[in-house]
Amino acid sequence: MDTFIRFANQTQGRDRLFRATQYTCMLLRYLLEPKADKDVLMKLKKLESSVSTGRKWFRLGNVVHAVQATEQSIHATDLVPRFCLTLANLNRVVYFICDTVLWVKNVGLASGINKDKWQMWAARHYYYFLLLSLARDLYEISLQMAQVTHERAKGGKSSSGDPLGHSVADEMEWLQSFLLLFRSLKRHPPLLLDTVKNFCDILIPLDQLGIYKTNAGVIGFGGLVSSVAGIITVVYPHMKLKTC
Amino acid sequence: MDSWVRFSAQSQARERLCRAAQYACSLLGHALQRRGASPDLQKQIQQLESHLSLGRKLLRLGNSADALESAKRAVHLSDVVLRFCITVSHLNRALYFACDNVLWAGKSGLAPRVDQEKWTQRSFRYYLFSLIMNLSRDAYEIRLLMEQESSACNRRLKGSAGGVPGGLETGGPGGPGSPGRGLPQLALKFRLQVLLLARVLRGHPPLLLDVVRNACDLFIPLDKLGLCRCGPGIVGLCGLVSSILSLLTLIYPWLRLKP
Repeated sequence: MDTFIRFANQTQGRDRLFRATQYTCMLLRYLLEPKADKDVLMKLKKLESSVSTGRKWFRLGNVVHAVQATEQSIHATDLVPRFCLTLANLNRVVYFICDTVLWVKNVGLASGINKDKWQMWAARHYYYFLLLSLARDLYEISLQMAQVTHERAKGGKSSSGDPLGHSVADEMEWLQSFLLLFRSLKRHPPLLLDTVKNFCDILIPLDQLGIYKTNAGVIGFGGLVSSVAGIITVVYPHMKLKTC
Repeated sequence: MDSWVRFSAQSQARERLCRAAQYACSLLGHALQRRGASPDLQKQIQQLESHLSLGRKLLRLGNSADALESAKRAVHLSDVVLRFCITVSHLNRALYFACDNVLWAGKSGLAPRVDQEKWTQRSFRYYLFSLIMNLSRDAYEIRLLMEQESSACNRRLKGSAGGVPGGLETGGPGGPGSPGRGLPQLALKFRLQVLLLARVLRGHPPLLLDVVRNACDLFIPLDKLGLCRCGPGIVGLCGLVSSILSLLTLIYPWLRLKP
């Protein structure tokens, strides 16, 4: 109970919980659509939309958070993460500005706003943010893989010559690369969590922008997985990927 | 920027900001209505206020658990009166939040058959009981502090001037056989008590803040339950003042009354 309260007292904790609820509703609607009662589907849709609208209150003012994150990422030591994260956070700043404009339209404070245009802009900048975050993740993964290979080479485990021929050697190489990737991610859980989160999240703007259309089930599942990953980083702060 | 990030990271802080905005809208709407502003503008303010109200209900989902935890902690307090007042206040708050969650379910369409009026009245009733308990606790703390302060003053006077007959409690010399001097005597005693109260509150800002906050908050359920119709202007002003005061306790934690 105490852990739940400490978790729920943080804005990010509550927001992630509501996000998980929102995408669970989307997933359930997709799964139950063929068989369930219209009433149940209507209730799921209403819960999804009211949680989605309510979550905007959690995002108001996050422009400042994104500006601060941009400032922090400028001081990253490595060049590639510095470049990727700074640009990613700048895109996040623009995304939050678009989101605030959409909120102003939603509550009826300004009527002359073109909702579709601003929604597209928000989706585009969110997409660039996720793309750049994934680029940084891939760079970090390649570094980890190089490190693992180097450690294995130092340990004296040299790969012996393959006596069975070229085609089997190709398959072995592919398997070895995959195992190397798996090992690299296993020894760096925050990197694995961040990669999974960004990969699942990118499905949303890909669908919104029409680049790669999926269905509500895939988006719901992706959103739910990324929300759970986000909840883990709030409950266990050491699991959050550091800027450094 | 850093302080905003740390402040807004607390979900309670965001909810209090929304509360302040909601009551500011209520006050603004009332002021605009009195000055005959355009109905469009009034409608916009009303719409924003209702969005804020619904948004706050979502932000408050799960606060029942927090109130129950606080009640559990308060059961272990040493002072009997404080233990009773604070525990009962938290329990009423938990029930208020539970009713609020039911209202959210009704407003968001999850439970369309919820009787909004009945559950609103119920929630304000629990809110009122909680505030009454808070004010009782404040009155008890004030009484204790006044007694402490008055006996400290007596000790100082006895130590410096060889004692003042009667001391502060009896308000000076006055025999039973002087009815003509009764009323001024009473007025002097009352004035001394008021001065003592002011001194106690000035010396304990958290207690003063808590008293003012609870007193302002009291007008809201009293108006909504029809016990004391003060009008939307007063309700808006009181709500705004109490929200600002509770934001202050979040920004400066030393201003929060403990336990």
